[in-house]
Amino acid sequence: MRRTFRYPAMYNQSTVTITEALKIIQGAPADRPSFFVTLACGFTPLHVQTFLAARLQQALPDRKVVVTTGLFGNLAGTVEGIKDPAIDGLAIVLEWPDLDARLDFRSAGAWGSNAAADVVATVKARLDGLLVALSKVPPGVRVGISLPSLPLPPLFHTPGWLASEYDLLLGSEVLNFAAQVAQSGRGAVLNPQRALETSPSSLSFDFKSYLHAGLPYTTTYADQVSSQLALALLPPSPKKGIISDLDDTLWSGIVGEVGPENVTWDIASHNQLHGLYQKLLASLAGSGTLIGIASKNDPGVVSQAFARQDLLLRSESVFPVEVHWNAKSGSVSRILETWNIAADSVIFVDDSPMELAEVAAAHPGIECVLFPKNDIGAGLAMLRRLRDLCGKERVSADDALRLESIRRASAFREQATDGAAPESFLAQAEATLTFDFGSADKPRVLELVNKTNQFNLNGRRFTDAEWRRLASQPEAIVVAVSYEDKFGPLGTIGVVAGAIDGKCLAVESWVMSCRAFARRIEHQTLKMLFENTGVDEVRFDFLATAKNGPLQDFIAAIIGDRPTTEFRVSRDQFDRSCPALYHKVREMRRVEIDG
Amino acid sequence: MMDDTEKRLAGCFQVVFPGISEATIPTASQATVPEWDSVAAITMVSVIEDEFGVELDLDDLADLDSFEKIHAYVQKRLQVA
Repeated sequence: MRRTFRYPAMYNQSTVTITEALKIIQGAPADRPSFFVTLACGFTPLHVQTFLAARLQQALPDRKVVVTTGLFGNLAGTVEGIKDPAIDGLAIVLEWPDLDARLDFRSAGAWGSNAAADVVATVKARLDGLLVALSKVPPGVRVGISLPSLPLPPLFHTPGWLASEYDLLLGSEVLNFAAQVAQSGRGAVLNPQRALETSPSSLSFDFKSYLHAGLPYTTTYADQVSSQLALALLPPSPKKGIISDLDDTLWSGIVGEVGPENVTWDIASHNQLHGLYQKLLASLAGSGTLIGIASKNDPGVVSQAFARQDLLLRSESVFPVEVHWNAKSGSVSRILETWNIAADSVIFVDDSPMELAEVAAAHPGIECVLFPKNDIGAGLAMLRRLRDLCGKERVSADDALRLESIRRASAFREQATDGAAPESFLAQAEATLTFDFGSADKPRVLELVNKTNQFNLNGRRFTDAEWRRLASQPEAIVVAVSYEDKFGPLGTIGVVAGAIDGKCLAVESWVMSCRAFARRIEHQTLKMLFENTGVDEVRFDFLATAKNGPLQDFIAAIIGDRPTTEFRVSRDQFDRSCPALYHKVREMRRVEIDG
Repeated sequence: MMDDTEKRLAGCFQVVFPGISEATIPTASQATVPEWDSVAAITMVSVIEDEFGVELDLDDLADLDSFEKIHAYVQKRLQVA
């Protein structure tokens, strides 16, 4: 069940051919656990099925992806038939014929003004029915939806360069449906605008193939829709931070030469791309992406520039700021240390290819993005790439806390000695830990499990369906851990999941955010597990990964050595090694106790 | 001895019908390959288009029911191209 999601390959490989797709599918490991996806598609699904299976297989190389289809011509029936929670994903490729047969080039239904109003009414009724069917899909089944992209038949009264009221009403009904799906969180809707940009209908619709064989999509477009559906079903982890240069990147001009009052980023000075970049960073910061600065500059001059009221990225949204004349790779090292995240979770943006190369050499895995100061035309692609890499389906309350908690963690570490906080500091921190036993279905919980690397028991990632299965097994226990102290809250920073087996608790997943290190939260968590469950020992489903050294160090302090495989910790072992704990402990929906 | 087009076409058959042996490909037809249905035929068209860079006419699909016929058809298309 160990696996990794190879999303970068999906981003980098813009297209695959049908031959490549078939070879990918044929190369799937037959003896590995399956990843089941149902494809609901009213037309002959052939190429979409092949490409979807191939794209998912690329992302899940150690799973056997199985894409099954429903009844031909009965998309709604296929969705209604999804009852099995063992299905991992549902991919819906919606097209006009699914909503009214008169919108199908292959049907004999009548066209004309008399039918127009009825077509609109039928489409609305079908979409309403689909919403109901979607609401009944088991909660753990992740849903991706592609909206109609084929051209409508010329059945309405207007010439093709004009939109009739019926064209517009049909579009409106589809968008209303999509908005309700997105709002409810019951499905991930592909962006129809993005699909149109890359494959306008002249390149996506194969009229002859549709009439002959029922295949409306060109192979290129079938692959494109499939790759986006794969991303919707297996969403990649967003990058956690952006480290940006200043001169000719955050703003136009060399601030040390022209002065803080003369760097620009507005339309009047023809430097709007820098303004847009600032707005994007501010927007990303607002949704929890960390923003840091690495610049070769005079700190005093930079401070003056950041004091300008018209700056679109406020200095409060940026931390840390590394401004000096030393190598940027060193700045990046310190920023990563402050954020306590790995290089492969971060993007570095600079206008200098040389600086990008220097940072890339020192920090393998970091995503380096060139700010195209001399190629404004490439600016939009860069802005969209940053949004794609950092974008999230939803923003949680914990996202809003992230930057402040990093600042606090930094202040916390400054008072620590050799990575451990002084005893007096811990004792006076007025820390409260909250253990929430009813949190398994909260999005933040699975998100934390799937993106945490350093304090992670085994690096195991879960799909929605797998997580729900784990949480619903007999004697299952899923606990979300939140922390706050007198400096403020860190939000939800830990998750433990497992099941009680007699006098033993078998822990299958344990993660803790790196922001929460050095507070003895892991000790208090283990203490709580022993006390709450009454078990004599805890068995850990451990697997060493390239990054989970911090967890291994914690365990080594208890059992005497770094683990190499599954291990057990007895209550006595833990009690002997547990340091003094100062947290106030709360259990959600339980009696409050002092720990 | 297979010519280059035959070898490449045989590769296409192996992709579409991974279960059939290399030796039987030259004599393969819809009658001898159970998996060769209408869906496989369309997949075959796309794989051949990928391999040879030529567009096959779906109007001709019904006649292309054996390796031999497809080979002759592809050779003709390559000459036109």
